Amino acid sequence: MPAKDYAPIDQNWLEEAGSLWTTPWVDKPSERVIVDPIILSHAASLFRKNAGYFYQNPDEAIRMVCHACELYDVTPVGHYLYADYWGQDYGAEIKVQTNSPPGITNRPIKTAEDVDNFEVLETEDLVKGPTLTTHYKALDTCKEEFPHMFAPITQLGGTMEVATNWAAIEDVFMWMITEPEVVDKLCKKAGDHMVNACKATSDRYGANVMITGSVIASGDLMDTEQIKRFSFQPVSRAVRKVLNAGAGPGVYYHLCGNHTDDYQMWKNAPMSPFTIVQIGYDGQNIFPTTKLVEAFGDRCTCFGTVDTKLVDRGTPAQVYEQAKEQVIAGKDSPRGFILGTACECPTNAPPVNVRALVKAAKDHGKYEKF
Amino acid sequence: MDIKITEELDNTLKDNGFKQEEILDLIESAESSGTKLKAREGDIAIAKGGSDNLTVYAVYSPDELLDVYAHKMNILGLTGGELSEIDYDDASDWACAKCGEIALERNVDMTYMGVTRPGPGLVCPKCDEFYVSDGVAKTLKTAEAILEEKRA
Repeated sequence: MPAKDYAPIDQNWLEEAGSLWTTPWVDKPSERVIVDPIILSHAASLFRKNAGYFYQNPDEAIRMVCHACELYDVTPVGHYLYADYWGQDYGAEIKVQTNSPPGITNRPIKTAEDVDNFEVLETEDLVKGPTLTTHYKALDTCKEEFPHMFAPITQLGGTMEVATNWAAIEDVFMWMITEPEVVDKLCKKAGDHMVNACKATSDRYGANVMITGSVIASGDLMDTEQIKRFSFQPVSRAVRKVLNAGAGPGVYYHLCGNHTDDYQMWKNAPMSPFTIVQIGYDGQNIFPTTKLVEAFGDRCTCFGTVDTKLVDRGTPAQVYEQAKEQVIAGKDSPRGFILGTACECPTNAPPVNVRALVKAAKDHGKYEKF
Repeated sequence: MDIKITEELDNTLKDNGFKQEEILDLIESAESSGTKLKAREGDIAIAKGGSDNLTVYAVYSPDELLDVYAHKMNILGLTGGELSEIDYDDASDWACAKCGEIALERNVDMTYMGVTRPGPGLVCPKCDEFYVSDGVAKTLKTAEAILEEKRA
């Protein structure tokens, strides 16, 4: 749908939502906690389109996201990203799927020897590549049509995510056991790539919010020492390099999955004045906001979450109850709080469940300290 | 020291409101006190000076001023309050000229316009001195602009 077919965004809402959104970082008083359910292809479902359509049309995707933000009264940011970034730039093949984000079907690294010969692309090459060309089409549309909802985000994932978009996950996990130094090299190259990618966004827009952290490197798949070696350490080095290259200031640590045994180490990850930490799960359960605030509250903005499975398959009452519990525990976190979902809002989540999440923040997320 | 300042850098100083004399004084002070960072390889040093409202850094070789940068965020100290063990290599390319310790890259608490948040600093583990790199100063400039806009 072209821009002319959308109703205008309510400017009063936008101003209010913008004020709520910036509260966590700048300690500026606002009425309540902001909600960010990480709306991506879920926005397409509101417009009776599918995920495939969303990801093949980045300019329309960003329009749908921005209007979904207004509809739900959530963080006014035009997000556009998916998990399988950065494979295609290096020769991987992508399969466009009807009901889910694009997936990589054929990866460029097949053997351990390929890792040695693999060369990280320079910033100028990444800018011309398929990932950033598509990503920037979405961001440029946002900047032009929804300037107050524009944030120059770079979707990095962590080093293990980049590594497994370059080489098959089963190969990477086998090398972790048989030839861990190969994975060291791979993760180092992934970190170098992350720096070049962030620099590209920073060069283009003058600032950069990097989404990094650890999704595959979680407690369900790796032990704590492996997470430290292949995720925490190389990700930390990459973030440090990004900040030293002047390509900040936003750092969003998205620690998806179970992080019971490793979350404490992320307290010492490099941070900037605009850092968010989000942790998905504590074992099988949603990560408690009390625990999140205890570990990170005096360092950065805490992103408390509601289980995406609940948002997808639960009742509105269940979503509301979990959101209420999390928002009460986090709203007065010293360096700000955001209520959201453990990961991306499921494509076909019932809209009433997303509304229940926001309602809990409105009913129970009034600031007492700001 | 007889420090040469190129015309290009002099123009940069003027554009950013710095006076040559102030920068040369800052270097002089660093040289006499030894409070500076020196490159672990090569003969480049970083001197710092200024006030609570503006910290200024001069990067220089024995005979030439190479760069000048600044930030408004005031460094309060180490995030978490103390220098504890961390799980990755945090050694920087710089060493403290005074004690010889390698400067570490660590989060430091920075404050500006009433807002305190961590940022990446260069820390002398012995002397309790804090610096930032030129790249981080660029990142902080963006952060400061956002705070100025949102706190206004």
